[in-house]
Amino acid sequence: MIEIGKKSRAAAYACALPFLVVVFLFEIAPLLAVTGNSLFKGGAVSLGNYREILTSRFYLNAFKASFAISLATAAIGLVLALPTAVILQRLPGRIQQFVLICSNIGANFTGFPLAFAFVILMGVSGSFTLLLARVGILKDFNIYSNSGLVIVYSYFQVLLGILLIFPGLGAVTREVREAAHLMGAGGYVFWRRIGLPILAPSLISVFIMLFANAMGTYATAWALVGGSANLVTIRIGELTAGDVFSDPNLANALAMLLVVCLAVVIMIEQFVIKPRSRHA
Amino acid sequence: MLDRSWRDWSWIGLVIFLQLLPIVAVAMNSFATEWAGTVLPVGYTDQYWAKLFADPRFMAALQNSLIIAVSSIILTPLVCVPAILVAHCYFPALDRWLAGLVILPYAVPGIVLALGLLRIYSGNYGIVLNGTPWVLIFGYVPLAASLYYIPIKNNLRALQLGEIFEAGRLVGASDLSIMRRIVLPCVMQGLIVGLVMNFTLAISDFVYANLLVGGHFPTLQIFISVLHGGSGRLISAVITAYFAVVLVATAIVIWITARPSTP
Repeated sequence: MIEIGKKSRAAAYACALPFLVVVFLFEIAPLLAVTGNSLFKGGAVSLGNYREILTSRFYLNAFKASFAISLATAAIGLVLALPTAVILQRLPGRIQQFVLICSNIGANFTGFPLAFAFVILMGVSGSFTLLLARVGILKDFNIYSNSGLVIVYSYFQVLLGILLIFPGLGAVTREVREAAHLMGAGGYVFWRRIGLPILAPSLISVFIMLFANAMGTYATAWALVGGSANLVTIRIGELTAGDVFSDPNLANALAMLLVVCLAVVIMIEQFVIKPRSRHA
Repeated sequence: MLDRSWRDWSWIGLVIFLQLLPIVAVAMNSFATEWAGTVLPVGYTDQYWAKLFADPRFMAALQNSLIIAVSSIILTPLVCVPAILVAHCYFPALDRWLAGLVILPYAVPGIVLALGLLRIYSGNYGIVLNGTPWVLIFGYVPLAASLYYIPIKNNLRALQLGEIFEAGRLVGASDLSIMRRIVLPCVMQGLIVGLVMNFTLAISDFVYANLLVGGHFPTLQIFISVLHGGSGRLISAVITAYFAVVLVATAIVIWITARPSTP
């Protein structure tokens, strides 16, 4: 920390002020609005919206499906992104930059464009479906299903995983590798005994970010499967913008429950897993 | 050793291939005369591209998307970077708050914030931003903040700021000029990463654009969703155009900001 005089201190605070104002108006205030509105039902303050969701098999199933898809795609993302990031670290800087830039574009390749691309490849008459059917695997694959969603989500999850894991790999320094190599640890033993334990805390955070990313995905699911996918975000969107099922306050309550789920997961990571792994 | 590097390259090659596959498929589809029931298109044509460029809705959507994305990469760093720098240099307590605030959007999905923005800026509280590009340009600031915060913090941690400020003050430089002439160039790399990611985020967003602005200021993503269900070739052409824009913009941002800055 740098010491500064009283006058410059005020000026320095003023530099941070615009950011705090914008964040309040466009992040904190909307969140408060959602919280407030979720507590209104039929014009009166009540927990009725929450009761309706928590006793509805339909909405609970939406949470279950969102959880399952998010866990699966976060795991796929992590498992495929980790070796990619590790290998990338060994390659020349220009290649690293190229792959990271591509990954950034790919990680933002969501919604209608992504869904459309996958339908071309893996739809009923997509080239991939045809190729795989010709080889004899994937007989009756349907992209417009939950397993289709898992495949499509995995695309951006893996790329986001690469972006998130790569900076953290610096923790496995050259010295550590060389020391392990001198002591005779080969590739597999090195990663099992040394590499992964060092990276574990950051990998857990990456997993949770990927999980949260999938839980919050709306556009991609909506574009691919529409209202027939029973996911939390799809239900929120339908209750907000739908012509038939519009109930904004119920949507707000669903949104709050989604935030609570993610907050609980993030808190467990921050306060239970992180401190422990630090002692280990 | 040779064996391992061969394995490395083939894995990265496979990842790049899979990464590009959907994009290439869309691009091929936009040039295909017919592509159903075969692995590769039957023939190629540019008629859908001609049709697209003759469509005033496409030109308007492209223009709108560029207006929003460019405004976003001007406003967001102007708002975020000073805050990140002063918090890191002078106010550790504020810095801890910033760390929490920039991570918050990871716990609060876009659709949740969109619900709140929808409620607040539709005139219920005397301010109407919904239906205008402003709600997007400002709304993306909190979403993009972490894209600047994380890489810039990494750059800042590598600096001996105490010594830099001591030396600068000794030769009579004001803190502002130390920030501008020494600290800012040192975090340039992080800033570039932030700009590239911010641009991609702003031009790729569908959730905010659809719920908050929709047809009042249709962006490329909105245009794509409107075409959905219509001609697959035309949509493919729009998506390919969107990729071309992202690629060109990424190249431009890197080119402008990575030029050696004059001290």
